[in-house]
Amino acid sequence: MAHQTHAYHMVDPSPWPLTGATAALLLTSGLAMWFHYNSTTLMALGLLTTLMTMMQWWRDIVRESTFQGHHTMPVQKGLRYGMILFITSEVFFFIGFFWAFYHSSLAPTPELGGNWPPTGIHPLNPFEVPLLNTAVLLASGVTITWAHHSLMAANRNQSIQALTITVTLGLYFTALQAMEYYEAPFTIADGVYGSTFFVATGFHGLHVIIGSTFLIVCLLRLIKFHFTTAHHFGFEAAAWYGHFVDVVWLFLYISIYWWG
Amino acid sequence: MHCVMPVSAARTWRILTFVVALPGVAICMLNAWLQKEHHSHKPEEFVPYHHLRIRTKAFPWGDGNHSFFHNPHTNPLPTGYEKAGGHH
Repeated sequence: MAHQTHAYHMVDPSPWPLTGATAALLLTSGLAMWFHYNSTTLMALGLLTTLMTMMQWWRDIVRESTFQGHHTMPVQKGLRYGMILFITSEVFFFIGFFWAFYHSSLAPTPELGGNWPPTGIHPLNPFEVPLLNTAVLLASGVTITWAHHSLMAANRNQSIQALTITVTLGLYFTALQAMEYYEAPFTIADGVYGSTFFVATGFHGLHVIIGSTFLIVCLLRLIKFHFTTAHHFGFEAAAWYGHFVDVVWLFLYISIYWWG
Repeated sequence: MHCVMPVSAARTWRILTFVVALPGVAICMLNAWLQKEHHSHKPEEFVPYHHLRIRTKAFPWGDGNHSFFHNPHTNPLPTGYEKAGGHH
């Protein structure tokens, strides 16, 4: 009888990479159809297939790890490398938008009035809601650390309580930002100030939503006893992602909200 | 004597949560709310600058002239504030 003589995980054949690629094609072509031909059908299909691929692929990973035991130490090490590399790639993604912001703001063109903020732009006061948002994200960093230590100490009630507070803080940030977006006296169409502000903070907000979703999944798994005190990489990955999102916000706050 | 050293890391972070982090959030909430009450400002006067309210390509929704988070009270169109928002 053949059996595995190594510690690695040779994954069973899966349709999700193909459905994911199809979803990407539908999303991109759908975006073009929406912008140029006023049709949202392809894009809606793209969003649906993306969502279905994500849910089923990650569900399968939970099955392979928690229920089938395929995530040995070497496999977990590979996952750690993977998450670190992914977050690094996202850092570079944001570096691009910071580059755009500094390019435009360090040498403001005559068309803007030769100053930054451009003439006619009234920036948000960094010491009102943006400061609250900073406190919210920093607090979420503290609460998720509490959750992690509680998890490692096998304290079920506290780990659930701490992770719940973390998720609540993430959702609170999103709600505050949405309100700020609505109340702002400038829009994305207000020249390069509007473009850099809303694209940089917008992508950040999207990442907060992604991070909050990841944490909600972790909370559900925590409640359903998926994690052990020594093996809970999904939780650690969500925590790393949350910290990354927090650090990006700090750079956004200092550069765009305060200095800008 | 009330000086009890936290034995576990979890206890340390729990204390930090309830003594520093969450009160910090509460203070910032109060600060933001008070500052907002302090300046109930009217929307800024409209000046038809050419470098703002760009409409090179129409937005792909509605009439193509309103941004996604458009607020009639604080966001003038290229032609000025709409009748519904703007002046009280």
